Amino acid sequence: MTAETILQSLLSGLLTGLMYALIAVGLSLIFGLMDVVNFAHGEFLMAAMYATLGLTLVLAIDPILSAPLIAALMFAFGALVYAGIIRFAMRARTNVGMVQIFSTFGLAILMRGLAQFFFTPDYRSIQHAWTSGRTFSVGGVYLPLPQIVGALVSAAAFGGLFLLIKRTDFGKALEATREDAGAVALVGINRNRVFMLGWGLGSALVGLAGAVMAMFFYIYPDVGASFALIAYVTVALGGFGSVFGALAAGVIVGLVEAITAMLVPPSLKSVGIYAVYLAVVFFRPRGLFGSM
Amino acid sequence: MKISRRDVLIGGAASLAAVSACARAQQSNEIVIGALYPLSGANAAGGVDARHTLETAADVINTSMDLDLPLAKSAGLAGLGGAKVTVLYADHQSDPQKGRAEAERLITQKRVAALIGAYQSSVAASVSQTAERYAIPFMAAEVSSPSLHRRGLKFFFRAAAHDEMFSKAMFDFFDLLRKKGKKIETLSLFHEDTIFGTDSAMTQIKLAGERGYKITADIKYRANSPSLTAEVQQLKAAHADVLMPSSYTTDGILLVKTMAELGYKPQAIVAQAAGFSEDSLYGAVGDKVEGLISRSSFSLDLAAKRPSVGKVNELFKARSGKDLNDYTSREFMALLILADGIDRAKSTDGDKIRQALAATNLPGERTIMPWKQVKFDETGQNNDADPVLLQYVKGKFVTIFPVQAAVAEPIWPMNPATPGKMGQTAS
Repeated sequence: MTAETILQSLLSGLLTGLMYALIAVGLSLIFGLMDVVNFAHGEFLMAAMYATLGLTLVLAIDPILSAPLIAALMFAFGALVYAGIIRFAMRARTNVGMVQIFSTFGLAILMRGLAQFFFTPDYRSIQHAWTSGRTFSVGGVYLPLPQIVGALVSAAAFGGLFLLIKRTDFGKALEATREDAGAVALVGINRNRVFMLGWGLGSALVGLAGAVMAMFFYIYPDVGASFALIAYVTVALGGFGSVFGALAAGVIVGLVEAITAMLVPPSLKSVGIYAVYLAVVFFRPRGLFGSM
Repeated sequence: MKISRRDVLIGGAASLAAVSACARAQQSNEIVIGALYPLSGANAAGGVDARHTLETAADVINTSMDLDLPLAKSAGLAGLGGAKVTVLYADHQSDPQKGRAEAERLITQKRVAALIGAYQSSVAASVSQTAERYAIPFMAAEVSSPSLHRRGLKFFFRAAAHDEMFSKAMFDFFDLLRKKGKKIETLSLFHEDTIFGTDSAMTQIKLAGERGYKITADIKYRANSPSLTAEVQQLKAAHADVLMPSSYTTDGILLVKTMAELGYKPQAIVAQAAGFSEDSLYGAVGDKVEGLISRSSFSLDLAAKRPSVGKVNELFKARSGKDLNDYTSREFMALLILADGIDRAKSTDGDKIRQALAATNLPGERTIMPWKQVKFDETGQNNDADPVLLQYVKGKFVTIFPVQAAVAEPIWPMNPATPGKMGQTAS
């Protein structure tokens, strides 16, 4: 194993990790806000990828340009899902947790089924994007442009998210609602509205991830499944509800995956991720940056 | 107008009811065959194609067509008073356990006469065990693991080649190129971690040892991985003369994309079909694999010699919008051969069908394949299903091996070696 190979692995792991972080942060945000795990998170990603593909095919808009548009669309979609499904699931008098799990799980299966029905199960991909096929090579280390753009978008999204949470009224309302959803009503914050915006924001983030991923990944109705699994581990590892935790855990997962694949046969590379997660559970069950 | 939640639910329920009502109307004089395929999940594309193929085959059986294929000229099964063949589909979602449960349901509740399937070797393994237990024949259509017919099952049949035969063809081809003075010494294997990939790699390692090729990388990866960067890096570092992938479609697409991103251009790719015979792979990354070679059971070139090949392809294309490929051609023949057995058995009894199938003797000219003939040995395997190698040239597959079936000279290597330029080190 040469130094080149190791450097390549680590850099690839870092780029992949930033993508994992962007995919996971929406999930973490929603969970932290209202203790609801969105089991349709992978399907949100899938929907965003198909939307990006659609804009490319129909209107010839490049994924980089359509990314903000996709994020806006997914914001509306997430808010709608909250208003149309989650709001009612939360009203259940008994077994609230179960009702929430099954409602988002049902939504996942519905979305997959609809995608297969309307788009067929064929694998698609975006053939011609500005970034496609461009790769930087520095001293034998290859960094594909789409992944670099993806990592930059991810970093920018996290930067924006920090500002939003720390500097705006909405961010403060979000924090307050997360702390005590009952008490915020007393100071005049509309809890429902905050929840709806939270779902919108979480979905917009995964929408952004989907738009970027569509540049370099194949698209089909089940594409969300394997990423959703990683997103759950990332959220649990970073700490439920922690934005910074999602970022750190995403990068850790990406790097651990890359390092594991160097040391053991690649078919076992996800073992490393779960080993790290179990170790974290053992020493710090709330996750690395969890505050609960 | 205000739409309440209740209205939405009633509307949804009503449309569901409408869909299921027109789904199926059972007829009395019909032979029901159960087909197990991944109709949802990661490999649904393959399952949906299989469904189009089997419907095409059922059309050929059930209506009178002027094709030189078994059961084509008659309408329905003459041996059973013109009974029509109906295929009942079950979705196993690529899961061997779901496959077993669905097979059980088709046999006990739907009373199918035989089973066909199952796209993945791993699922075919569990489904054929279940069929054996109920003494119902299982026709393996496109699954290719050699271990499948070596389990002493009585009710297992496979008309198509298995991966040892396919891999042998690849190594015969390498031997031929070597004789012509091409440099082929090292091979990289890249295979997924279910029975298909592991069996395929095992065979290739064995053949490489016997014939004096060196394996420089043997990379087993997890199917449907979100990233193959680490795997491709190892392939790149090994930099063998030939890359030999055994992958389904999703991983195949990601492999090709990742190779391009990491600047790895193998000198040649010789693929164990699977994903590399699916249109969707070439739709997604076709421009990056000019010159790729894949094994196949089927070649459209055969249409020039055998009119039935072209006609069946037209029938299939009208239904699916695609040309027949390695997978769909085998599925088509599997249903024809199975129905032919039922026709000769003149019964839907499992034992009688088994006996009739075991006595199958179909000359290759009466199939759409480049096979010598269809004759099952005591394990249920047809050893005369000669495979071909196809090369992807200018958006089309042409037959390049064996010599008697070839229509073009192989282009070798697909990417000329460019040491230094890409900064590759043969470490």
